[in-house]
Amino acid sequence: MSRIALLAVLVCLVAAVGRVAAGDDGQWTMPSADYSATRYSALAQITPQNARSLHPVWTFSTGVLGGHEGQPLVVGDTMYVVTPWPNVLYAFDLTREGYPLRWKYRPEVSSNAIGVSCCDTVNRGAFYADGKIIYNLLDGHTVAVDARSGRELWKTKIAELGDGETTTMAPLVVKDRVIVGAAGGEFGIYGWIKALDLKTGQTVWSARNLGPDSEVLARADTFRPPYEPGPDLGVRTWGNDSWRTGGAPVWGWLSYDPGLDLIYYGTGNASPYNAEQRPGDNKWSASLLARRPGDGALVWAYQFTPHDSWDYDATGAMILADLTVGGRPVKALVHFDKNGFAYTLDRASGRVLVAAPFAPVTWARSVDLTTGRPVLDPAKQTGLSRGKVQGICPSLEGGVSPASPAAYSPRTHLFYTATNNMCMDYAVARVTHLKGTPFVGVDSPYTPGPGGYFGTFMAWDAASGRKVWENREPFPVWSGALVTGGDVAFYGTLDGWFKTVNARTGELLSKFKVGSGVVGNPITYRAPDGRQYVAVYAGIGGDWALISGDTLAADPTDVRGPAEFLKDLARHTSQGGLVWIFGL
Amino acid sequence: MRRRPPRPLRPGAPALLALAPLACGALACCARHTAPPPPGSAALPPAVRYEAHLAAGGVLPGGGVLRNPHAGDPAVAQSGAQLFVAMNCDGCHGAGGVGFTAPDLADGRWRYGGADAEVFSSIYYGRPKGMPAFGGALGTEGVWTLVTYLRSLPMPADVATESWDGK
Repeated sequence: MSRIALLAVLVCLVAAVGRVAAGDDGQWTMPSADYSATRYSALAQITPQNARSLHPVWTFSTGVLGGHEGQPLVVGDTMYVVTPWPNVLYAFDLTREGYPLRWKYRPEVSSNAIGVSCCDTVNRGAFYADGKIIYNLLDGHTVAVDARSGRELWKTKIAELGDGETTTMAPLVVKDRVIVGAAGGEFGIYGWIKALDLKTGQTVWSARNLGPDSEVLARADTFRPPYEPGPDLGVRTWGNDSWRTGGAPVWGWLSYDPGLDLIYYGTGNASPYNAEQRPGDNKWSASLLARRPGDGALVWAYQFTPHDSWDYDATGAMILADLTVGGRPVKALVHFDKNGFAYTLDRASGRVLVAAPFAPVTWARSVDLTTGRPVLDPAKQTGLSRGKVQGICPSLEGGVSPASPAAYSPRTHLFYTATNNMCMDYAVARVTHLKGTPFVGVDSPYTPGPGGYFGTFMAWDAASGRKVWENREPFPVWSGALVTGGDVAFYGTLDGWFKTVNARTGELLSKFKVGSGVVGNPITYRAPDGRQYVAVYAGIGGDWALISGDTLAADPTDVRGPAEFLKDLARHTSQGGLVWIFGL
Repeated sequence: MRRRPPRPLRPGAPALLALAPLACGALACCARHTAPPPPGSAALPPAVRYEAHLAAGGVLPGGGVLRNPHAGDPAVAQSGAQLFVAMNCDGCHGAGGVGFTAPDLADGRWRYGGADAEVFSSIYYGRPKGMPAFGGALGTEGVWTLVTYLRSLPMPADVATESWDGK
């Protein structure tokens, strides 16, 4: 057998068991690099010694101006890019000069989805499995496209636009299940997650994140929550039957532990923002859920922010890592929450081992590790009867945006994440639920956090709950993180810089102005020429093109001023939609 | 997910609403009895939902002229400010109508025309790219109340130029 044939067989074997770890073979086939969601690649050609010579080698305009969250995939010799609405899928040939397209796929997507998207028309990426590129269209459909030909293999309607549901998250494929969920915490949806069959796209199971146990798939024989067990928590913790419009959407990142056979995902905020319309803990909004991928059974759940009164979604990355905590080896799950705490949990049981603030926090003083509950500051609770509550940190943009996933290096044993250093005042209104329209009701002006800077990129020791280093940035940082076997880390900034830093010290090694603010997540891969490259989207959006409305320029009938608290951002960036590749 | 209207409510705008469900109920009731007077509707075949499709770059189909019965009435404008929150308009257009996922309504620029009748039509019938048709929920009176509020919004002195020079 020739070496190439042997290699091909090996690649097929690895793919067959569904465990293509990025870096092992130079590909990037899953949104978060691997099932553990580490965003780590073992590729090590780029190092602190040579990173100063990193430079752009290629760029491509996607032709779309929405916020470019998410990340490309690299499978074999092809790079795949999904745009924000209208969700075009591009396939670039990495074997030819200039990376020409092999094909592009332009699905039919309803423009009504634009009006049902709370926070720009973003898409967080695709997943490669079984020869298919699988991703969500904004208007509530999942599609599978043949990775070679670009032909649509199946298309399944998973969500109801008319009910306020849109689909921005990246699917996770486990065995023959495609796991998907819907956004809509600002539209009072009845949040859910479901599994489609990989071959046909047919729905296999569907589970609510709130409501009766029968719909949550919380069965007496399988559901073992680490704290406060009980029947029908998804109903009994919602006064006034408010669970029916309680939100708890799924718009972030999923991970999977093959050993425990559990998928992990976070849910978004409870709706509406006036928490007095929904008395109780509001389980399982702002929570972490662990389910069996085969039948969807809920195995455990933990709520980071009971009775969410600040829009603290828990949809950020759930990173699986084997750590030593208090001298003991732990199968851990690490999560940086919008509420400002970084959590290290035992991912088998759901018990919290470490919880420490990674950004300024005023809504709670600490997390009680015995009960798992936050120790609240009574003065920072919100609701209609409390009027305008001032000085709440973090702001509802989060200590970190869930759209900005962290990375973990098994070499440095550190986690790398963007942060926002912002606080807010909060005044809610009583709102009416009108299907398919916003169910929000808040006025929440922002203020800079202590220190006069708006964000950081930092390294975190999750075993001790301690910051190791941080780079302060003049604007909130809204990109994901990447870290590699060369001990370099990568991130982008809202004002449009793409930066490479030393993963051990934070020292800036190189930077380049990429044309628009970065809200996407860098990836790395080994190209057919044998060299390591780094790819990232530029294209400001998500909340930022909306809050800093003066970064918009495409509509002469929609001319906005700057955000009061951040008057300078549009001086440095406008909307865009670019794919960049950097090399040595 | 996340949401924050980009600017706080203007001073003087009423605190956000307690009466919304009542108001909505009453308006929905009126809507059933009030024949909507769509501008130029006589010229529209039933299959055409948005006159913008017919009138792109051109002239709206002919028909009677719609007049806002409350034009310039500050009390109605204030009710409209409450309705703007109660009907979740601020969820997309931002507090004070300064734009969020949906366009700025306080910049004096209008995608589908800024005359009272045109703004009425946008709210009553909806528009492409996600503006719902609120006519059924609000009725004629409710839509005019919103139009009156939108006309009362203060506009920046210079919409076109934003300068950082010298800063």
